[in-house]
Amino acid sequence: MNEAMETISRDLGRMFLALAGLLFVSLLVPIVWGEYWAIPALIVSGLLPLGIGSLLTSTFREATQPGKLHGMIIAATGWFCVALFGSVPFLLIAWTVELGLPVLETPAQTETLAAFTNPINAVFESMSGFTGTGLTMTDNEEVLPRTLQWWRSFIEWVGGVGVIVLTTAILARPGSGSLTLYESEARSERIHPSVVSTVQTIWWIFLLFTFVSILLLWVVGMPLWGAINHAMTGLSTGGFSITDNSIATYDSAAIDFALLPIMLLGSIAFPVHYLILQGDLRNLYTDLQTRWIFLYMGAGTIVLTALVYVNATYETLFSAFRYSSFQFVSAATCAGFQTAVDSTNVALGRWPAQAQLTVTFGMIVGGAAGSTVGGIKLIRALTLLKGIRFRIADVFYPKTAVRRLKINGRRLDEREVRQEFEEAAIIGFLWFVFLGIGMFVLLLILPQGEYTLENIIFEVASAQGNVGLSAGITGPESLPTLGKLMFLFNMWIGRLEIIPVLVTLRALFRRGGIYQ
Amino acid sequence: MTLRDVPVVGDLLEAGAEDRVFDVLLLGGPLLILVIAIVGRSPLTSGGAIIYLLSFSSYILYRGAQS
Repeated sequence: MNEAMETISRDLGRMFLALAGLLFVSLLVPIVWGEYWAIPALIVSGLLPLGIGSLLTSTFREATQPGKLHGMIIAATGWFCVALFGSVPFLLIAWTVELGLPVLETPAQTETLAAFTNPINAVFESMSGFTGTGLTMTDNEEVLPRTLQWWRSFIEWVGGVGVIVLTTAILARPGSGSLTLYESEARSERIHPSVVSTVQTIWWIFLLFTFVSILLLWVVGMPLWGAINHAMTGLSTGGFSITDNSIATYDSAAIDFALLPIMLLGSIAFPVHYLILQGDLRNLYTDLQTRWIFLYMGAGTIVLTALVYVNATYETLFSAFRYSSFQFVSAATCAGFQTAVDSTNVALGRWPAQAQLTVTFGMIVGGAAGSTVGGIKLIRALTLLKGIRFRIADVFYPKTAVRRLKINGRRLDEREVRQEFEEAAIIGFLWFVFLGIGMFVLLLILPQGEYTLENIIFEVASAQGNVGLSAGITGPESLPTLGKLMFLFNMWIGRLEIIPVLVTLRALFRRGGIYQ
Repeated sequence: MTLRDVPVVGDLLEAGAEDRVFDVLLLGGPLLILVIAIVGRSPLTSGGAIIYLLSFSSYILYRGAQS
């Protein structure tokens, strides 16, 4: 085995060990809720990554530190493998109930749980969870065992911060190539000079915010189990719910409005959170991305409220504001909670086309880089806008003029502008290319006339932006297998910001000799 | 024996906020949630949760005002 493979295998092994830890910690849930029949499935699910992880880390203990190429391959393959291993609890618990082993005293099978006896549905749910997407293969989350309700919330919570960030916090030592891996997981900002200290700080901030969110939701009337799960999935902007109709189930304006700051917290970069917690509140408006989060969430809410109110989707201005503010913030923070459903008001898929496209715009742009959100990210959108303005204005200056572009307090020279603009343009372009491919596939495989074009754009943008709002296309029966595979790919590339996945595929094809 | 010598709690404080109030909130949060899980919704637990939320937000504002 060559040196690169040894490094990649060792670091993948570390990620598997961290995943095994998550599964063993989750054993507390079936014990507390008395779902003892789920324990064997959870233990087997944990032993699998533990065994493989231990084998890889011990065999390749002396492997060299990862370089940039290794880092990208580790991030891409690691996230894919973690989603595969993370699907095992869904599969085994569903099969435990399906087989109805008398020794374990399993409950009756439900249609919702039975969907996970299909491995593709289980992998879909796991990938959706880890990437913080929130699209689901369940029909009714309420009837899922508490163990699986917890596992769905837990993987979104961990995935929001990042599997590599978790692995680094638990298993990495300073100077062990952690920075390369950290940067490969769509993160670049550091709070402290040391990456290990940075991820530890990220985790205590995230933990503190989780406790605050749980208590806030509980105070406004959500039952405790719901508050725990929705705080975890709201803060990580994942959007899985434990109720059939997402947040609409509670039909409470207080809960809707309490979730807004929780989702917003998840969309602000961790370094900014750190500074604010240190008392530097000016960052709320001096940091470019944070300032724009408030500006564009506010503007999006006003536009959406006007659209649904003028189109008479809602009768009162308050209802229009309540559902529009929630759905726009939910989309733009990439949380994907839904309050607009037919059982309480008007489902998102039946909103006017222009309103659906406004929500889609929020999903595509996303929130701040360095937070838990998906999408293209605000800083890239702003870099593109400022870069275009800079280029156009260039014509009006003499050739000898020395110009600087100011972005987020940094003054960039010509070379830096080109570099940043190029990176934002490449990711933006690829984002739309894969959005187009996803739309094309859905148009091919979905029944003619059942869904509108805006429904399809909405669903693909939701999967690739790791949002999770649905126009009704995603489901165990409604989405054909090819569509599920396409969405698996969309969610995977969306979480890692495309490049690491393409680098990995290129390395696979080249080394595999497929096109050489 | 100090709090830092207690397993898990010691690790949490070591990697934690290096700020007493945030450390207390970090350690007190799960305890309060546990009490709520056992006792349920009552004036005492509701009061505890509200005090927790107020302490968190007012401490940030206090630090902001200080700096």
